[in-house]
Amino acid sequence: MKKITLIFISFHFLFSIHAQIVDGLSIGIESNSAWYNDDKKTGAFNDENNNDQDKHLRFNKYIKLDYNFLSKFTVSAQLESYEPFALINYSSNLIGTNLGTYSLTYETTKIKATIGHFYEQFGSGLIYRNWEDRQLGINNALFGGKLSYRLLDFADLTVIYGNHRVGFETSGGDIFGFNSEFDLKSIFKMNGMALSMGFSYVGREEKTDLEAINYKSLTNAYSGRVDFSYGKFYSSAEYVSKSKDAIVLANNQVSNQFIKPGSGILFNTGYSKKGFGLDATFRRLENMTFYSERDKSGNIFFENIVNYTPGLTKQHDYLLTNIFVYQAQSSVSFLDPELMKVGEIGGQLDLFYNIKKGTVIGGKYGSKIAFNGSYWAGLKGDFDYANQDYKTETFGFGNKYFSDISLEIRKKWNSKWLSIFYFVNQYYNKKEIEGNFGAKPIITNIGVIESTYKLGNGKSIRIEAQKLWSDSENHDWIGSTLEFNLNSKFSFYINDIYNSGDDSSTQTTHYYNIGGSYTKGATRIGLNYGRQRAGLLCVGGVCRFVPEATGLTASVNMSF
Amino acid sequence: MKNIFYLIFFTIGSWTFSQEIPTTTLKDLDGSKVSLNQLIDNDNITVLSFWATWCVPCINELDAIADIYDEWKDETKVNLIAIATDDTRTKKRIRPLVNGKGWEYIVLNDDNQDLKRALNITTLPHTLVLKNNKIILRRTGYIPGAEDDLYEFIKENSN
Repeated sequence: MKKITLIFISFHFLFSIHAQIVDGLSIGIESNSAWYNDDKKTGAFNDENNNDQDKHLRFNKYIKLDYNFLSKFTVSAQLESYEPFALINYSSNLIGTNLGTYSLTYETTKIKATIGHFYEQFGSGLIYRNWEDRQLGINNALFGGKLSYRLLDFADLTVIYGNHRVGFETSGGDIFGFNSEFDLKSIFKMNGMALSMGFSYVGREEKTDLEAINYKSLTNAYSGRVDFSYGKFYSSAEYVSKSKDAIVLANNQVSNQFIKPGSGILFNTGYSKKGFGLDATFRRLENMTFYSERDKSGNIFFENIVNYTPGLTKQHDYLLTNIFVYQAQSSVSFLDPELMKVGEIGGQLDLFYNIKKGTVIGGKYGSKIAFNGSYWAGLKGDFDYANQDYKTETFGFGNKYFSDISLEIRKKWNSKWLSIFYFVNQYYNKKEIEGNFGAKPIITNIGVIESTYKLGNGKSIRIEAQKLWSDSENHDWIGSTLEFNLNSKFSFYINDIYNSGDDSSTQTTHYYNIGGSYTKGATRIGLNYGRQRAGLLCVGGVCRFVPEATGLTASVNMSF
Repeated sequence: MKNIFYLIFFTIGSWTFSQEIPTTTLKDLDGSKVSLNQLIDNDNITVLSFWATWCVPCINELDAIADIYDEWKDETKVNLIAIATDDTRTKKRIRPLVNGKGWEYIVLNDDNQDLKRALNITTLPHTLVLKNNKIILRRTGYIPGAEDDLYEFIKENSN
């Protein structure tokens, strides 16, 4: 660690002397800290992941440096610190202070080569993706090498090899892959038409100590895809196939009898012109979980994850619209003869419409309308619990898991006053989605009204009122937010949600937050005190269950 | 060990410098690769606005600018490039949303967030103002009316 100190100190002197050198330097700093309370209402502070009840004050810190030199080289390093432990809900593998990622990249117009940690995505990510999400504690960068080559201005070829980052270590299973993208527009020179194709391969090699295994240590996945657009119309399709591999049972046991292949189908089409947009997506996933180590399958921290299968539903923006959130169901799970899942099928539809200025409804400033609908179900097929086997129909819909219909209307009344009206209807099948036997499906209706009023001199006020009705006696929520912006630097808010239903875990508890932020340039400092509801924390379509927690949190973000 | 972090915090905090945009290829709404550096007009101010379809303040900001963008362009020839950081989950929503709202910006997609990472952007919305390919302003967050401050800065720095 002394080395790191030395490196930074020498950087400091180097840049102080030669200010012009730093033109190629970019720096990001982030610190998220929390001071957790014992809460009279919801219980004493407890960190299950680290089995700790004492360390109430926690820090997650990140410093990332990217330095471009000699015009073709970039060195990148990210130092991370989780002391004394990470914030609660983070993997216990994130502990201490160390270099999280580091890499050296050489780039010309034709070639890009990286050694060290890198992030890559093939196609939509359905076959392969590395990404970082600090809020969820995800960082599955591959540690190894990557080489990309641009061939004749229409083809991009990439090879990768390495091991996943897990905490500050690397995973056991090896990952290697090849990706190709062909931009055919430049070949055919078609007017107003764009056509591109892609093909990928990803292999995962994980040896096992077991003798006489019925599956191969190497698992192969292939993806083929095509993108097409003509004028205002566009369309894309992708098919992914994963070779036969052992199913991982609920207790992280890698089965030697239950061995199945996986597949994914993704289809998207849309039409848009000025003032109007329509988009529809269909997806079917069957046994598409893919991890660099088999027994990490389905781990809640997304460690070792190879591919990206987000829930394709609308990501709502309000507290009460995020109580019942759908997560993609891509895994095989035979919990009980009554509860067998092998994947999901469904889709979503988006519509955007701009009512013109000067019309009766549009008024002086126009109105903007956004509609979204999504429907997800299990796969239809024959499931044999006793023999651990199944057969599915390609386009058959099984039990309904989830549906969501939402309508948003944005209306600007005058130059100072803007309102948003939001309505959501959801169906959530808790039994199927969460594997919760006793639970009944719940239907909810949620209404939100939000208004922002500009007071002048940079001051503005924003008010949100929310209400959730349901067909269950357990859930009947109200919520509200008040935000006051003093000027471009200071902002304050208070919000609260409250369930007057009978749900034993949330009833008669106020989940409130009060806080403020200071922003200057690219520096933001935020402070919050409040009680967090137990539930799914979702970022970018991946969700993690987080327990209840109360405390003071502070965040600092700086970019240079 | 902890002290190293504070040391680095303050060391970096003491620097001030301008920075260039790295060589970057992004995808346009048709999925074709586009060189960002070629889109940046060195004679006039360029604004890079990092946003996402799921980010309400981002959309509020771009909506607010859209209402007055014609005037901005007429007076200063400023060019705004809206860089969507949506990943696969939501990136299909970019094109209908942009067209549905009638935005007239150049919109590009940084779908695995390579540029966002390279510029060390952690919070959205995040706005960069460029002159002669150098970053002369970095700003994060949006509150109603902040577009006016941004425009004042653009006017002061345009030729």
